[in-house]
Amino acid sequence: MHEPDEGLQAVFLANRQALLRFLEARGARGDAEDVLHEVWLKLERSAPGPVASPMSYLYRIANTVMIDRFRSARQAQLREAAWSEATGDPEGGVSEAPSAERLVIGRQMALQVDAALADLPERAREIFQRSRIAGQPQREIARDMRISVSTVESDLRKVYLVLAQLKERFDEE
Amino acid sequence: MAHDSRIMAEAADWAMRTAEPDFAAWEDFTLWLEQSPAHNAAYDHAVMAAETSAEALRLAPANDGAPPEVSDTPRRNYRWYGAALAACVALLCALWLWQPGAGEEMYRTAPGETQLVQLGDGSSILLGGDSALTLESDQTRYARLDQGRALFRIEHDERAPFHLDVGSSTLVDAGTVFDVAIRSAQIRVGVSEGAVIYNPEQQNRMVNPGQLLTIASADGSYRLDQLSTDQVGEWQDGRLTFRDASLADVAAEIAAETGVDYRVSPGSRERPVSGSVLLDPLKSDPAMLGELLGIRVEREETGWVLHAE
Repeated sequence: MHEPDEGLQAVFLANRQALLRFLEARGARGDAEDVLHEVWLKLERSAPGPVASPMSYLYRIANTVMIDRFRSARQAQLREAAWSEATGDPEGGVSEAPSAERLVIGRQMALQVDAALADLPERAREIFQRSRIAGQPQREIARDMRISVSTVESDLRKVYLVLAQLKERFDEE
Repeated sequence: MAHDSRIMAEAADWAMRTAEPDFAAWEDFTLWLEQSPAHNAAYDHAVMAAETSAEALRLAPANDGAPPEVSDTPRRNYRWYGAALAACVALLCALWLWQPGAGEEMYRTAPGETQLVQLGDGSSILLGGDSALTLESDQTRYARLDQGRALFRIEHDERAPFHLDVGSSTLVDAGTVFDVAIRSAQIRVGVSEGAVIYNPEQQNRMVNPGQLLTIASADGSYRLDQLSTDQVGEWQDGRLTFRDASLADVAAEIAAETGVDYRVSPGSRERPVSGSVLLDPLKSDPAMLGELLGIRVEREETGWVLHAE
């Protein structure tokens, strides 16, 4: 398939230990070597071309793999069936249910999120949406909204904390 | 599980900072994580909290459709950016090839990746995994899907309809959101908004929202079926639905979207399969597909091989 950028490849090999250490700290424990291999495969598949800051790029991939693993483990736990509907199977007659159900849960969640964000300055919600949904970097948000980057950062920090606390209450229920 | 409130505040801070594309303090972050396993648990918690909240706001704006006051980012693009962001976190995007002089711009994604292609007129195309798209630099209202799948969101212009070539078929938009997938012997087109006209010069068939057009690649003959509009482009949210599709097609499509190397044993290729599959869990546990489809999955040197029982 695609050869990874040679620079990245070299940086990966030279910094294996640092990446392993990061993965262990990120909770990979005995799987750290496997995860590192996964990072390598991702690199091979994505062949990103020249990257401004290779080491940050590698850390980011490693972190993303750990987030994916965490999410998958959670989903497996919830056994929120990755499968519905089997045409002709009487027990599988739940065809459109998953997406409808997902939407309802999503709406409830959105209401909760709204309520949780109501205590923050109004612009905080917009900043969060721009950051997480539109994927804008903080600098761009600051420019578009004509506020300082430190305001953006400080609002965003508050939103993250409020949401983490909200999720904690959710999980306890 | 309750987290210490100071740790939670620090974790939320790291979750925010590491989400920034230019975050560089990974060594400091490592040191913080190493101070206690509770730090890592709190970080995962904070990341998931932000992710699920953003997802909830994106899928179901609680303020009932009133767009947030985002002046210069059209709201309709949110879904797109969100999906693109989720799929290729932090610039880990697709290949972009450009052939200077040829007048063609080619976009190519690897398995498991997606790429958002913005056109000058406000239209956009989300390219799925293992797919190839060609644009002509002198024809702004034209594209060609060479391989794989793509979701088109086309700004309609009465005077300059958008043309898409797929194999020997041509699709013309009539104000439109539609999804196109090339399979082994078929082209499938689902429409969720507006309409698409199939081969105006020949069949001249209008495909409306909620309809699925299946074209036989061999002779251009077609069939129309019902389709839930929710399912149009659902792959951008990490889901694929199949109805009586051959196991070979199912394997190829899931492989393209997840990057997992699925193959089908020779005797099982035509086995019909129906179902709706969430893609993310398969990336970390490819064998799970067996349970989902009621088939046997074996790890072999060449990849994951599917056997119909």
